[in-house]
Amino acid sequence: MPELNLRMAATDWERLRKHCAHSFRGRRDREYGAIGLLGKRCVEGAIRELIVSEIMWPEDGDVLAKPHHALTFSSRYMRRTHMAVRKKGLAGLITFHTHPRADREVSFSFYDDDQDPLLIENLQDLWPGTLLCSVVLGKSSQQGRLWMSPRGQAALASLVIIGNSLRYLPLDGRPPKPAPTPSEIFDRALAVTGSGALAILARRTVAVVGASGTGSLICELLARAGCRRILVIDHDIVKLANLNRILYATKQDVDLRHPKAEVLKRGIESLGLGCEVVPIVGSILDDKVMLRLNDADVVFGCVDKDYPRMLLCKYAFQHLVPYIDVGAEIGGDQEGIVSTDTRMNYVAPGRWCLRCTGLVSARRLAFESLTTAERKRKIALGYSDDLLLKQPAVMDLNMRAASSGMMTLRHLLQPFLLEPLPVTLAENLVTYNLKPIALARSRNDTCDICRVNTQQGFGDCGESIGLSAEVAAALKWEDD
Amino acid sequence: MQIGKAKAEIDRLALLDVSIELVTQGVQPFALVGGIEATSPPWDRKLYDILIAIPIAYDLGTALDGFYLALPYKFQNGEHNRINGQVVSVQNRDWKAVSWHYPDGKPFRLEVDNIESHIIHCRGFFLERGAVNART
Repeated sequence: MPELNLRMAATDWERLRKHCAHSFRGRRDREYGAIGLLGKRCVEGAIRELIVSEIMWPEDGDVLAKPHHALTFSSRYMRRTHMAVRKKGLAGLITFHTHPRADREVSFSFYDDDQDPLLIENLQDLWPGTLLCSVVLGKSSQQGRLWMSPRGQAALASLVIIGNSLRYLPLDGRPPKPAPTPSEIFDRALAVTGSGALAILARRTVAVVGASGTGSLICELLARAGCRRILVIDHDIVKLANLNRILYATKQDVDLRHPKAEVLKRGIESLGLGCEVVPIVGSILDDKVMLRLNDADVVFGCVDKDYPRMLLCKYAFQHLVPYIDVGAEIGGDQEGIVSTDTRMNYVAPGRWCLRCTGLVSARRLAFESLTTAERKRKIALGYSDDLLLKQPAVMDLNMRAASSGMMTLRHLLQPFLLEPLPVTLAENLVTYNLKPIALARSRNDTCDICRVNTQQGFGDCGESIGLSAEVAAALKWEDD
Repeated sequence: MQIGKAKAEIDRLALLDVSIELVTQGVQPFALVGGIEATSPPWDRKLYDILIAIPIAYDLGTALDGFYLALPYKFQNGEHNRINGQVVSVQNRDWKAVSWHYPDGKPFRLEVDNIESHIIHCRGFFLERGAVNART
């Protein structure tokens, strides 16, 4: 059975730990706690992960002390949070509380075991289907479980904390275990991806959207870094013009019209590194394809259009999934090459979306999201020629973008780069310039994707992000 | 489709007595705006209907650009050289694309512009500015 994880933004986790820190100081005689709202991510109808969408911090009188220093949430607090769940269409509630004397290990008390079934019964009486997660916090450990009914509970495996790094904390009540000794294959990489980070990568699924030049290289780098499973998403087949940059693509693939994603599965799995590749042949704009991302822990975007980039940004915030967007571009004029740019943007809660970084333009996004017929009418008017230029692309440059993206993932799992990560990491080889850009140049402090996203952490409880197959098909480009 | 915001803007304008409705051709949404005032002459009537294409990603922050004019029309008893695009049939009427764009120095700005301000931009075409453009 796949493990059931809990996702949470780093800012919420840090605030929660700070809120509860008094439990582990001084006389250590009082429990602290708070209640949060839950979103969920499902794969084939089954819950794969729960997401802490928001923590509704207790107000005066919301937390009541009971004999033996145990904590009880007031009925007013429970009602307020449960009403918010119902109003927002979320999956349920999550309660956090401390056990002040749990220095090393922590576990639910008999009192917790008595109370949780009563609570879920009450909640489900009011709103059938409500889920209840409960997490008990020790000083350096935490234990979590999910109640689907008064008699049906499941243990939570890991708490995934997403922010400027990506942390996996066990929810089994014990401090993190020492990582297993990695295979000799990865010996030389241990300096940048130590055994702990490697053990995480070896159990995770990474989605790579776009299987052309940069995407194929990202897949190769992931497999050689020890990633267990890669979902490769691309709707296209291999064409002659792709052979200069797609790994493993051959002339025969062109002749037989093989999908790019399937070519990568053949190539990567032939390496014998134990990495499974799942090819998904379809457009990421299509909602059914977009939903397949629910199976992924991290998403790489290797696409050359703004519309999929923005949808992936939206997905990253709604599902609290780290999104690494990479790209390469050769700029030229009549005089010759003026720039060879590569770029990496890391998008996650607390960071900026690609619209705020200035990467996605309102004009290009508009053009790309017209139907094919309307786009043609727009092209006929003129004024759109710059949006139609075919970008030159060479593997050498794609490699630099892929490398930046992969090093960023390694850093997220085991930080080694200067922090905080820049908004954009940009490189121009013509001027030998690697530039960390700290500012989001089109920042909007009321951005509904990255600043005040009302659906952050909703996961599948939020609005559908992709398009119906019919609309996605109507947006198809001529060269697709 | 991500046009909930566009629909909300259109509903709000309709409540303010603007003649506007959301229509589609296939899956392409348009805002059909009526009662656009024109200076007559040189235009052959005082009110026109226009059609504004709404990009499907409008909610994600897209620009708006240009519009279509309901046919037939006459300008100075002839044609206007900026009404030069293709013809589309929507709601059983023919509409011709008008080349009426934002200048490079004054683009559509996401922070302040929306369907309402784009209609104001389109109105300019039927006033002195549009007529001047036709002569140059």
